Amino acid sequence: MKYITTINDKKFEIEIRNDGSVWVNGESRDVDFLALNNSLYSIIMENRSHEVVVEERDGAYEVLVSGRLYNGTVLDERSQLMRSRRGGLEADSGEISIKAPMPGLIVAIPVSEGQEVKSGQTLLILESMKMQNEIKAPRDGTVHRISVQQGETVEQKRVMVTLI
Amino acid sequence: MSDHSPQQKNIQKILIANRGEIAVRIIRACRDLGIPSVAVFSDADRTALHVRFADQAVHIGPPAPRESYLRIEKIIEAARKTGADAIHPGYGFLAENADFAQACADEGLTFIGPSPSAITAMGNKQTARETVKKYNVAVVPGTEPGMNDDDIIALAESQIGFPLMVKAEAGGGGKGMRTVHNREELPTALANARREAESAFGNGRVYVEKLLVGARHIEFQILGDMHGNIIHLGERECSIQRRHQKLVEESPSPFLDMELRRRMGEMAINAARSVNYVNAGTIECLMDKDKNFYFLEMNTRLQVEHPVTELVTGIDIVKEQIRIARGRRMSPTESILEPKGWAIECRINAEDPYNNFIPSVGKITTLLTPVGPGVRVDSGVYNGFEITPYYDSMIAKLIAHGESRSEAMLRMRRALGEYVIMGLKHNIPFHLNLLNSFSFIAGQFDTNFVEDRFSMDTYEAPPTDAELEAVAIAATLVAHRNQQLAAQGVQASARDVSNWKWISRYERMQR
Repeated sequence: MKYITTINDKKFEIEIRNDGSVWVNGESRDVDFLALNNSLYSIIMENRSHEVVVEERDGAYEVLVSGRLYNGTVLDERSQLMRSRRGGLEADSGEISIKAPMPGLIVAIPVSEGQEVKSGQTLLILESMKMQNEIKAPRDGTVHRISVQQGETVEQKRVMVTLI
Repeated sequence: MSDHSPQQKNIQKILIANRGEIAVRIIRACRDLGIPSVAVFSDADRTALHVRFADQAVHIGPPAPRESYLRIEKIIEAARKTGADAIHPGYGFLAENADFAQACADEGLTFIGPSPSAITAMGNKQTARETVKKYNVAVVPGTEPGMNDDDIIALAESQIGFPLMVKAEAGGGGKGMRTVHNREELPTALANARREAESAFGNGRVYVEKLLVGARHIEFQILGDMHGNIIHLGERECSIQRRHQKLVEESPSPFLDMELRRRMGEMAINAARSVNYVNAGTIECLMDKDKNFYFLEMNTRLQVEHPVTELVTGIDIVKEQIRIARGRRMSPTESILEPKGWAIECRINAEDPYNNFIPSVGKITTLLTPVGPGVRVDSGVYNGFEITPYYDSMIAKLIAHGESRSEAMLRMRRALGEYVIMGLKHNIPFHLNLLNSFSFIAGQFDTNFVEDRFSMDTYEAPPTDAELEAVAIAATLVAHRNQQLAAQGVQASARDVSNWKWISRYERMQR
């Protein structure tokens, strides 16, 4: 099986053959892979031992090695093909929805619809876990729609602001 | 025969009016003493660790603290129902509420903490300043009680100088606090701080204190018993903070020598004596660049960071609290001037250090807790536990102990590397980067260090291609394995459709 695996934006072509051998970008790798439980794995590569935690969440993979967390995707050939047909989905332009990272109370909305904002500018202040958290713009853009009001309680993942 | 003095009280059962790691910590002390424990819990905490650990557990209401953990009458009722004769308040919630301490006394329950009058005197920051001043304790230069805005502004200009801090008398948690850089900003800052304090504490009185630039936050652990003994257990260095929330504490402080510890300790004991302090408490001080120190406030309770003191003194502070509440003499008889080795604590918070320390909620999907020489973990969570948004974001404390500061730091780094918490964002990467920062290693930091001079990028080398490749191989092998498992997941005979259809259904389910 051939996979296109992307970790922190770096792409690897990885093939796992029927005999279990692992090939990265066409080169063979000596890998001893063992599942210890549902998310904990032991991997020995070229005699280097790694304790690795791998969890799948919302179609993406989180990998923790030596205290460091990596994010990535693993696509097999079929999914890769489908994704390329749909065209570049995640372009840097287009609409972005700012969702509530946790349930909380909207304390303030220092921006208004139609306003241009810079990356890192505060869009909302969400109070949760006894703290006032500034929700910031992930990139430059224009505030397209504000779908919450000051004083409102929001659930996790609720869309609060959309940027274009 | 002081053990038979009239103030001796027996304690048969202790109710812990708290939750999370501190409730677990107190239950452990109860176990060590052979005293049964009672937990209280809100709707959000039915599955919490403190409920699992306690001998008895009483439900006290909905998740919001003001409807459960802050309800005095419900907690007293829980004690009555279970036959608990003593209450340990932990920290936060009702720990520094004099009405609660009084309600316990009225009910004939032993409050494991100081007297209501000591809590009241120290709870009002301006009263506290005036009280300790009479015992020759230096306070940060500031305004006197009862001054109006014009007097405050005049005194600020003529004597205190800028920058300065506007603070709420009833203050806490950074509320009602303002930094003021010049005369022009002061009237607005006073008005805003007053409004904020009024809404947060129902007391809008504010005062002004000189802002010590480059100051360090150093505090002394105090123990006092009912026999008139008051000692200190040395200091804790708490300058690593963000938005007035401590993140890392250590004991001893790299800035103190024996002579300074002796002088500051004496001042701390005097401050505690000014309110005839009984039980465990903490004197918080500020120290400027020239090592002048000032009383800041007294915390009349057990402190989050008490474990670092326990590790370098060998004293179990919670057990001493219970012993003192029973009316016994505390076991240590002298202040500790020579700590044994060095201890560092990292607060493990469910906060994303890569995204402005925003809190994170969710279920812990994997938890591997570090162990080994010199490592202690005080935790309130377990694998599968769900972190809710109702309470503060601290989920555990990791404490490392060694012969020297460098040994403690190296053990801390090893333990942080072993600590695995998946399912939500947490600040372990922050602690790992902090331990790589030269300023922290060299002990060169003040209370503004994290906010002004620390960045996650500085000490984090980008991953090498070899590291990324290893991660990619791991992720791919797991994805491959999951596909294979899905294909074998159901025996062919038990299925009514072809394997191909089944895999496609499985994949759709996983989306």
